[in-house]
Amino acid sequence: MLQRFLDPGVLASISSLDLLARTVVDGFVAGLHRSPDFGFSQEFAEYRAYTPGDDLRHVDWNLFARTERCYLKRYRGDTNSQLTILLDASNSMNYTSSPGRPNKMDYARFAAASLFYLAIHNQRDAAGLIVFDDEVRNYIRPSTRQGQLYRLLAGLEQAEPHARTDFTKPLMHFQELLHRRGIVIMFSDFYEDPAAVVRTIEPLRYHGNEVVLFHVLDPKELRPELRGPAILVDLETQQRLEVIPEYTRTEYTRKIDDHLEQLRNRTRGAGMDYHLLMTDQPLDGTLREYLAIRQGER
Amino acid sequence: MGFLGPWFLLGLVAIGLPVYVHLLRRHVTTPLPFSSLMFFERGTQSSTRHRRLRYLLLFSLRAALLLLLVLAFANPFIRFAGAGPNGTLLLLVVDDSFSMKAGGHFAEAKQAALQVLASRPRAQRAEVMALGGRLAVLTQPIQDQGALRSALESIQPGDSRANLGELAHGVRALVESVHTPVELHLFSDMQKTGMPATFADMQLPPNVSVVLHSVGAAAPNWTVESVNAPAQLADPKDPKSRVQAVIAGYGTPAASRTVSLLVNDRTIATRKVDIPPDGRAKVEFAPLEVPYGLNRCTVRIDSADGFPADDGSVFAVRRSDPERVLFVHQTSDTRSPVYFAAALTAATQGSFLLQSIASEKSTDVDPAKYAFVVLSDTVVLPSIFENALLRYVQNGGSVMIAMGTSAGHHARIPIFGGYSSDPHLYSHDGFATVGQTDSTHAVMNEAEWADLKVYYVAGVDAGQARVIARVTDRTPLLMEKQIGEGHVLLLASGLDNLTNDLPVRPAFIPFIDKAARYLSGSGSSTGSKLVDSFVPLRTQAGNASVGVEIIGPDGRRAMSLAEAAAAQSFQLARAGFYRIHFANGKDALIAVNPDRRESNLAPIPSDVLQLWGVRPSSPASTAGYLQEKNTPRSFWWYVMLLVLVAAVAESIVASRYLGTQREEA
Repeated sequence: MLQRFLDPGVLASISSLDLLARTVVDGFVAGLHRSPDFGFSQEFAEYRAYTPGDDLRHVDWNLFARTERCYLKRYRGDTNSQLTILLDASNSMNYTSSPGRPNKMDYARFAAASLFYLAIHNQRDAAGLIVFDDEVRNYIRPSTRQGQLYRLLAGLEQAEPHARTDFTKPLMHFQELLHRRGIVIMFSDFYEDPAAVVRTIEPLRYHGNEVVLFHVLDPKELRPELRGPAILVDLETQQRLEVIPEYTRTEYTRKIDDHLEQLRNRTRGAGMDYHLLMTDQPLDGTLREYLAIRQGER
Repeated sequence: MGFLGPWFLLGLVAIGLPVYVHLLRRHVTTPLPFSSLMFFERGTQSSTRHRRLRYLLLFSLRAALLLLLVLAFANPFIRFAGAGPNGTLLLLVVDDSFSMKAGGHFAEAKQAALQVLASRPRAQRAEVMALGGRLAVLTQPIQDQGALRSALESIQPGDSRANLGELAHGVRALVESVHTPVELHLFSDMQKTGMPATFADMQLPPNVSVVLHSVGAAAPNWTVESVNAPAQLADPKDPKSRVQAVIAGYGTPAASRTVSLLVNDRTIATRKVDIPPDGRAKVEFAPLEVPYGLNRCTVRIDSADGFPADDGSVFAVRRSDPERVLFVHQTSDTRSPVYFAAALTAATQGSFLLQSIASEKSTDVDPAKYAFVVLSDTVVLPSIFENALLRYVQNGGSVMIAMGTSAGHHARIPIFGGYSSDPHLYSHDGFATVGQTDSTHAVMNEAEWADLKVYYVAGVDAGQARVIARVTDRTPLLMEKQIGEGHVLLLASGLDNLTNDLPVRPAFIPFIDKAARYLSGSGSSTGSKLVDSFVPLRTQAGNASVGVEIIGPDGRRAMSLAEAAAAQSFQLARAGFYRIHFANGKDALIAVNPDRRESNLAPIPSDVLQLWGVRPSSPASTAGYLQEKNTPRSFWWYVMLLVLVAAVAESIVASRYLGTQREEA
């Protein structure tokens, strides 16, 4: 029943990203209680002596009252992780094959918002956002500060597709921005040579980041359906090409499958996680992947 | 072929719309956005497939629909062979009636007709007609300018009365034969008196357009409207020996005019008469002194108007000893001769002397000495007299038979032939009246016989006889039979004021007067008639060996020898005196006058002419006529019908294709 709230078609009718993220995550968490594999709670771990600079909110004041010693109460889930989401805002992300289905950009927004909500609200992780196409369009530094979630959601809403994808220039730029290890999640459709993609993103892995590539595609991008000869327009380059259905059924299918396979193999070979997200699938796959990584970190 | 609105042809660019929809739009498919074309290659196979024009039928229908719509708005026209200047029949009708003699009306009309004829296109057919007492066709529809012109020039003013009803009837007959539009040009003074009794008789077919060339104008005109004079005169001292003339003025002021009576071209009397404005005055000449024989008489007025041709009215008077009439009756019947003699004496036109005799004493009587014979309720005639009477009739004599109660019960009817059946007695139910009359007969006046009370009618089988009057139960009352050259008039009732009340009726005197003149033949030998009336020349077609001689008003023979030997009747086409020598040997002098309605020159009101649909001619009538001839005939309405058909077909075909497309979607 709650799975219905993770359906992208239903989520597209929710205008507020905040509400959307809350709906997704709460639904997702409620579903986790039935799963023995992915537990989630703020279990007590240990006490640590207070050192200047620590957040006073974490001081165990009851213990201080009894012993007059200042200790910080630490929980199992609180690992000071940092989540950075890289959102591809190129024009190709604007594609959708059906008016009732969210385009790839919206789907990525929904997924990113849900991850932000989960990270900040439930995991108390620092979270940041980098929006890029062939340049870095927006950067929100990872933080746990009050209101960070809303800044991130606002950043997502302001992210509009522009130009074309170029991983090289933006990634060189935010290698400089990432000083602290954490989880880096990239949402993109990866219309690029797989080798070039891995070669560009691989340096992020060297900083000890967990890098996850979410390959966002519309179902019709995998299996286009043409009733007759048609002219296709490239959303990024505006190039026009006359194609025939026979080609899309045979050669194109072979090429796109080969592209996905190469991308999967090369990313995993480089120690990165790769997941294919179809815009007609629920968002729980994304959240599961994030929690799995968090479990691995603990 | 051309277009009345050629600018609408610019709408043909709209045909580009179906071309675009079917050819261009479907060939160049709507581009589909796609994320990336990095895995696509150009499909060259599609070119040939897309260039094929799909939905050829639908495209054709849509293109045809637009084309026809544009054509309809452009208002196409075509010059049909029968509708163009060369296809329209130019009909020139010149009024040659008596009234056209007034002033220069006829010359003006002929000149206008010649001008219209000269301005017609050479290839156009034309026909010339003359409108008088009848519509005379002078040419067939031809293009020969010379023949048409000579036909026009041959028309001379006549003495007949024009009737627009005759014109309409003739044109209707013409249109049925030529099957082309007719442009009727009428050259006439358009007299109001020329209209028929009902306006519907003037109606012309829709493809006949009338252009009126009205000539002359209404002018004051005095005329001798009518003359009442005895056709036969025995004694100038007779009170009946007088001439009464009515002088009429049409559109005239009050005036004093001199009226003269001319006998054989000599003026024997003159009278001054004061004529009221636009009114009538009566003038009388008495006694009428004429010599023995046939006399040419004329009443003439010094009108001093523009229409001198109608200033005189002619009539013929025969001066002779009174003609004798043999009245045969039964000895016991003393009433019938009295009534008949009184009526005959009172009659104004004729001069007869009645000799009555009992039927038993008629043995030695020779009927040939009498103008006609009356058999009043005779039962049996002496066979000698009967045979003589039969020969008398066969040679041209006439008999009047009255069948009273005595003769009605006798089986055989003398002279008339046949047998009488049971008589019809109406006295039990009161009386019978006359129900049906033949007013075309010379002796019959329907109004005079209307109130007649009939108590007894002998049963007579009419057979081949002409029934002039019947009583209400259709029993024949008055009949006429032709026997040889003569006539037998049979009254199936008596003259004794017992079997009917005719002898005491006012109708009796005119009836006897007309019957006496008819039976004696004086009605057709003297007096006056109207122009275009007919005179019977002979009664038996087989009597061709005896010729008829007619000397016209111009002093020439009016008929050729062949016509004189065979003609049954003769039309008195001209005004004046006709001297006729009949086949039965009798001579006659007939005075012929034009119809006096021709003297009233008042034209037809313009609103009536407009109702008739005429176009008055103008100084630029010829140019306008030619311009109108070049007016094309539009057929946009037919194109609109094709548009409708194309639209329906397009709807059907399009719905089929669209349905197919929906199924594919």
